[in-house]
Amino acid sequence: MPATYRTIPIRELSEKALTALSRDMKLSLSTEDMLVVQQIFRDIDREPTDVELEVIAQTWSEHCKHRIFAATVQHTVSGQTEEIHSMYKTFIQRPSKEIMARKPGFVLSCFVDNAGFIRLDDHFSVCLKAETHNHPSAIEPYAGANTGLGGVIRDILGAGKGAKPIANLDVFCFGAPDTPQRLVDGHNIIHPLGIMRGVVHGVRDYGNRMGIPTTSGAIQFDPAYIYNPLVFCGTAGVIPQSDIAKEMQPGLAVVVIGGRTGKDGLHGATFSSAAMGEASAEEDQQAVQIGNPIEEKKTLDVILEARERGLIEFVTDCGAGGFSSAAGEMLSETGGNVYLERAPLKEEGLQSWQIFLSESQERMVMAVKPENVAELQRLADTFQTEMTVLGESNDSGVLRVWHSGELVCELDNSKLHDAPTKHLASVFTPSPAHTGLHLDDTHLTDDLRGILGDFAVVSREPIIREYDHEVQGNTVLKPLAGAAADAPQDASVIDIDGSDKLMSLALAILPEWGKTDPYAMGVGTVDETVRQLIISGTNPDKIALLDNFCMGNPESPVELGRLVECAKGIRDAALAYGAPYVSGKDSFYNYFETEDGPVNIPVTFLCSGFGVVDDADHVCGASLRRNNSVLFLVGNTEDEIGGSVYARRCGIADAKVPQTDCAAHFATYKQYYMRALTKGLVLSAHDLSEGGLAVAAAEMAFSGKAGVSIDLDALPTQHGWKNNVIPCFAESTGRFLVEVDVDMATDFAAAMEGCPCARVGNATASGKITFTAGGKTVLQAEITELKRIWKHGLTPYY
Amino acid sequence: MPHALLLKYPGTNCDVETERALSAAGFSTQVQPIATATPMHVSKAQLIVFSGGFSYGDYVMSGRLAQLETERFLGDALQKHHAAGGFLFGICNGFQILTKLGILPRASLILNKSERFECMWDRLVKVSRTCPFTQLLPDEFELPSAHAEGRLVCDPGDAQKYLDNGCVALQYADNHNGSELQIAGLQDPTGCAMGLMPHPERFLRPRHHYDPDWNGDPDWGWGYYFFKGAFEALK
Repeated sequence: MPATYRTIPIRELSEKALTALSRDMKLSLSTEDMLVVQQIFRDIDREPTDVELEVIAQTWSEHCKHRIFAATVQHTVSGQTEEIHSMYKTFIQRPSKEIMARKPGFVLSCFVDNAGFIRLDDHFSVCLKAETHNHPSAIEPYAGANTGLGGVIRDILGAGKGAKPIANLDVFCFGAPDTPQRLVDGHNIIHPLGIMRGVVHGVRDYGNRMGIPTTSGAIQFDPAYIYNPLVFCGTAGVIPQSDIAKEMQPGLAVVVIGGRTGKDGLHGATFSSAAMGEASAEEDQQAVQIGNPIEEKKTLDVILEARERGLIEFVTDCGAGGFSSAAGEMLSETGGNVYLERAPLKEEGLQSWQIFLSESQERMVMAVKPENVAELQRLADTFQTEMTVLGESNDSGVLRVWHSGELVCELDNSKLHDAPTKHLASVFTPSPAHTGLHLDDTHLTDDLRGILGDFAVVSREPIIREYDHEVQGNTVLKPLAGAAADAPQDASVIDIDGSDKLMSLALAILPEWGKTDPYAMGVGTVDETVRQLIISGTNPDKIALLDNFCMGNPESPVELGRLVECAKGIRDAALAYGAPYVSGKDSFYNYFETEDGPVNIPVTFLCSGFGVVDDADHVCGASLRRNNSVLFLVGNTEDEIGGSVYARRCGIADAKVPQTDCAAHFATYKQYYMRALTKGLVLSAHDLSEGGLAVAAAEMAFSGKAGVSIDLDALPTQHGWKNNVIPCFAESTGRFLVEVDVDMATDFAAAMEGCPCARVGNATASGKITFTAGGKTVLQAEITELKRIWKHGLTPYY
Repeated sequence: MPHALLLKYPGTNCDVETERALSAAGFSTQVQPIATATPMHVSKAQLIVFSGGFSYGDYVMSGRLAQLETERFLGDALQKHHAAGGFLFGICNGFQILTKLGILPRASLILNKSERFECMWDRLVKVSRTCPFTQLLPDEFELPSAHAEGRLVCDPGDAQKYLDNGCVALQYADNHNGSELQIAGLQDPTGCAMGLMPHPERFLRPRHHYDPDWNGDPDWGWGYYFFKGAFEALK
């Protein structure tokens, strides 16, 4: 098979011609970028090959280089401008390093590998990674979600010397499934119901076949997601600490294992870094592939076994950029050779750049000592998967790519790391934040019925049941529990084989808040994540976070302004909670050009958290367990209805969004609640989030074991409220309901003395939810009736 | 110490937790990928286990490719093991494989009545009294299930025949997947070979029950007793 590449003269091209070349080759490089590329080749005094241009485009793509998070941003708030040099360094990396310095030995690795690792116990480490797969899922929901999950699982397999995947999470943002077809503008756009079903089935068919439990998830609906659905997939892993560090050496064999290489998945990285348009669907379908989970399962079996036998020196996934990024990661410092003619192909006739850049799924690249190649080959044969020695490392310091004896790519990687810095402008204007609004509190029971049936609150049960959340036999706190195994939980907790510690996972996403107060959204999202982890039994000092951002057009200053404010919020929250960001990802250009102008998604921030539960006895569910126990509410309720499900349903857009005093909240969680929990004083606890107290109380009662009675006058507050909509439905942060055995109530109250906490009611044998205020019943309904509304909100669409 | 052999196919994925359950019950266990399995592996084991998963993806008839590959690598070694009174145990996909191998009574496991994958707990009723795998279990108990193809169908009259001749090991109390006569698990007439759709290996400890107030047993979940029952019969 001869080399099939061409030399592309660029040294003499005009600016205009460079721009045209970028467009014609679909490189997604700007004119400034192309000028830098031109200079690189003028400096080395030769013309590039098409392989080299494709490698540069891939390396500099937004998907791989996160150039917007690294950009210099002029950020203007109310006329005052500040300059931010890299949002990533300022708001993510710097606070995380500060926290890591405060907590030596907790984070074992981050910012350098596929995922960040934290210490579980003396021997093991756990990690978590979440990715988005938005554009592919918009074009082909099943395949997009399928390969999205497959990709993040490979991230974990390529973390350290090969971590074992032990849990998946999935979070989706869609248009509502009942969106009228006439509102779905554009004939290439798949209706949100089609997107939802396709995505769920894609995640199901990959996750289930991989034998990894899907334990956590969330789903959000907003009309702005009709054109740009968001699909977040995450995977957690475990690895012995001694297998985290990996280092390339000269003289190692570079081996590819798993699937074959084909034309599928070309330009995936550059494609996902551009906006969607009517033309996208047709043009870019070749960038979407269908996954083959069994191929990946066999690869997983080989890698875990090879790691246990000590055969692996280095491993990484073939993600965006395919061999070029995997080989680049492994060989750019030591140097080495890759021989493209050795790559097993799905079909004949691939050009050199296609082999090197293909993003075909289910491939992993390893570096092994030459004397271990034979044993690795035996393992590959045992698990019936294909393995090929693709090249080798040496001490030349240069990566050379050969195809049938011809040198097709020879790039000095040090030059490629410095993509030109982008310069962006952002602006943020604070919205009005009203309190004391006149709200009608004469039909609170009907309001609760409406909110429980709202897509933001309804049970995800039809989706959860399609995912195996118990495979591996370690899921202790499951996504659904209670007497009938159908009531919602806050975090999920899993046993770790060989350890007496457990791993917890939780997540939060509050895009509605960011429409008016993105800073409050950032802080509140982190608070909810941390709170869910701690009330479920996680050690407050052993929590790490992931940041996943999605937004529309970053070149729109108003859109980017919201992102900057959100990022400031997540920095402040992380510092207060001592929870570092150990991994993250961002996705831009989630906007769609329509005849009426661009539709941007709301700035969306997914916070995923994971931590260590020190003792299985600390695990605490969110479902009532007795019908004569006492209920305490922890945290202050304030007049903050902005961003709530109630406000959205009533069309209120100018109310104050919940503000968060992270330091005070964290003191409550750690110094008061956690002590009470570890003393065994807590039966169950549930966080107050979407829908506020009324929804949280109802959800606890959905355990099927008890009703609830609460006196709204007893709720802790600093500033109070003018009508009873606030205590029922406001979503003030830092709050959770705690169920305490009647005999332990005095001890619990004593343990919480000093933080905002009050005895607000009881679990009852009545079968009803009853709220009273001023001695009168203001809200009352049968639990079975409410549960029917909540439980079957999504079933008509399944 | 009784020895168990767990055969692993490409796509088998419950081998780790099944090995965990076998070890907890006292077995020494070897997990053997099918491509390197030999009749000698079979001859060393008192119990052959087929764990859950998606052998070869289950894109065609579930368990069919695993059956063909098993016959390719092991010939009739499993049938000989069975004829000699050796134990065989199939869980979920393993139940489908054992059925295809002809070791269990003739039946098929097809797409659930709901036409979708369902992960949920099932209440089960013990039927046969001759099965070593269920001998330590109470008359009614729960196990987690997770499958898309667990609806048991037979030739006309066969389901009733299996119920009459003691080949039905377990029935569902509720019948989520729509199986004939609510059959959740089958055995051969001796009880030495058994298969079921639910996953006993996932309910090894009380904390793996969804309800923290579950108090059926102080130390073990119900799933443990399947493995313990086999161990007691073989030791």
